[in-house]
Amino acid sequence: MRQHNLTNVISFEIRRTIKKRRFWVGMLAMPLLVVVIFTLIIFDNNHAASTTRNQKNAHFTFEYIDESGLIDAALVSKLKGSEATSVPTGIAAVKSGDIDAFFVYPAHPSKTAIAVYGRDKGVFENGKYASVALMILQTSVEKKIESPELIAIERGGIKSTTITYKDGILSGGINALIPSMLFLVVFYIIIILLGNQMLTSTLDEKENRVTEMILTTINPTNLILGKVISLFLLGVLQMVIFALPFVAGYTFFRTDLHLPNLDFSHLIFNPQQMTLGTLILLGGFALFTGTLVALGAAMPTAKDAGPIFGGLIMLIFIPFYAFSLIANSPNALIVKIFSYFPYSAPVTGMLRNAFGTLPLWQGVIVVAELWILSAIVLRLAVRLFRYGSIEYSRKLSLREIFSA
Amino acid sequence: MSGATPLVHVDHFGMDFGKKNVIRDLSFDVMAGETFGLLGSNGSGKTTTIRALLGIYLPTRGNLQINGRAFRPEIGIKLGYLPEERGLYKKESVIDVMVYFGKLKGLNRDSAYKWSVDYLEQVGLADKEKISVDKLSSGEQQKIQLGVTIMNNPELLILDEPTKGFDPVNRRLLMNLIDAQKRLGSTVLMVTHQMEEVERLCDRIILLKDGVSRAYGTVEEVQNEFGNTLIHVEHQGRIPLADSYKIIQKSESNSTLEVANGTKLADILRRLVESGVNVSKFTPSRKSLDDIFVEIYGVDDLKEVE
Repeated sequence: MRQHNLTNVISFEIRRTIKKRRFWVGMLAMPLLVVVIFTLIIFDNNHAASTTRNQKNAHFTFEYIDESGLIDAALVSKLKGSEATSVPTGIAAVKSGDIDAFFVYPAHPSKTAIAVYGRDKGVFENGKYASVALMILQTSVEKKIESPELIAIERGGIKSTTITYKDGILSGGINALIPSMLFLVVFYIIIILLGNQMLTSTLDEKENRVTEMILTTINPTNLILGKVISLFLLGVLQMVIFALPFVAGYTFFRTDLHLPNLDFSHLIFNPQQMTLGTLILLGGFALFTGTLVALGAAMPTAKDAGPIFGGLIMLIFIPFYAFSLIANSPNALIVKIFSYFPYSAPVTGMLRNAFGTLPLWQGVIVVAELWILSAIVLRLAVRLFRYGSIEYSRKLSLREIFSA
Repeated sequence: MSGATPLVHVDHFGMDFGKKNVIRDLSFDVMAGETFGLLGSNGSGKTTTIRALLGIYLPTRGNLQINGRAFRPEIGIKLGYLPEERGLYKKESVIDVMVYFGKLKGLNRDSAYKWSVDYLEQVGLADKEKISVDKLSSGEQQKIQLGVTIMNNPELLILDEPTKGFDPVNRRLLMNLIDAQKRLGSTVLMVTHQMEEVERLCDRIILLKDGVSRAYGTVEEVQNEFGNTLIHVEHQGRIPLADSYKIIQKSESNSTLEVANGTKLADILRRLVESGVNVSKFTPSRKSLDDIFVEIYGVDDLKEVE
């Protein structure tokens, strides 16, 4: 009966939520926005590519003064350019419209900028003058180098691989960071998207005056557990729907979106980090859910619960103010406080876990703290629901809750 | 009373809210199969007693048991509870709400659905099953609430102010449902101010005042305890004063006398006749529960009730 009713609550809560138009509006708004943004990016990239091609092929008349002695006159000649007699003459020619552009290459281009003068063709098209001036200098210099390898180095097309060791053991670097960071992403998405729903989940019974009937048909622990589990499942559904456009975009339109080719085979799934990440995520979710459910049971309306709800949500962002310390100085006092204060512990713990600065023993303490506190808060939420929800129109004081 | 073991047992129950002593010391039993009335003015602790009985409140003192155990939803008894504060999931469809409660009460989905459809048909709401509850009139919502209360064919039906806010049609429906449940063997525990309902339905009653019992027993026992017999006399001539009766109300030709304990009615009639009163009608009656209620709670409490 107990298990049966838990299942009933979960299915009822999920069904009534997914039947709400508001849920789907919230659920689909972000993926649709992503699709729109991706479409615009693809369109813009294609447009930019064609503009670049056009600019590359664009012909305009120009003159130049070369104080560096690096410019290849033959190259300039191919591009229909010519050397000016003096700087003032060149500028005057641009001003009068006799030529489109005039470049002054300084004696030391590495220290002094190339001066570019041109006829105004609009903010975006004016960029072609500087591009061509730079291209002439680079190509002229490359001709002097005469070594494809040196040219490649000069162009900066050099790759590097980094191997780091921690305590004598190969460390994962960014490839180990990404999988662990996913826990943090999941946590944020669930709390931000479902926080309000967590808060109002028991307010529903209260506002609809069904608490007494519910309490005589189902154990309140089962009811609250059912609500928490259904919220978690809805959160998972929401994340899958959120992830879909990103996955589709990467799989089918990676080139059009100019996304880097990620080599997932290099990702490192460190068992300790993955286990700690999972446990901290679940503990953090249970703690925040329990707290929000308890808050909903103690307050007569969602509006009354608003200020405390806002404070709780702020607590999951506060660790980011100390991001650099969390990533690099795990022994800083503020990092220790954030690591062990229950409502900042999930985010801090997951960040430190991802950066590899959360030792196992500290991770165990954080997990234990979150899980134990979650159990206490969930029990408090049940108590609040049992004794608070029938106080349909007034807030309960803590004294009343504990003396009930 | 149809059974020897009480289905509901309340033993020296006391309840404090902070420093406020709501129930001082209350004991009563409800036997299986009977209809029991819990009566009292506002604030006398009736709803608190029901909530403590159902485990919604933790009692400060004493034991409250249903079927020999403190109530928890999973103890197995089939319970129907119509609370004073009524409500349903307003944004959900009628059928979804009914099926959900049916499932919580132990019915499987098909049985809950079939029962709900039959009930909606029976109460004239067959075409409303897919409509959300908040689109129904308050009278229609009351019908749904009643259906949800009895859909598991409860062994124990607890009704807190069952007719409160009900229109006459639903009041009659409720009474019929209570009758039907009684016929099916349900035990009914009802909290009410409506004395005519009590007289019509209840086998036994308890009257609460200031957190203690003021009367407890069958309706007849309570009437006997509180109400000496009254005599309505139609007469000509002045009613004389006497120790054997008290004149409650008198006019030129109609008077009401309250019979003193141990006095025979024939002696009073003889006394009147011998005093020269021409008696044309002599009708003895008991005090109504209404009168007893007024006597216990006083006019101030009664105003509060009204």
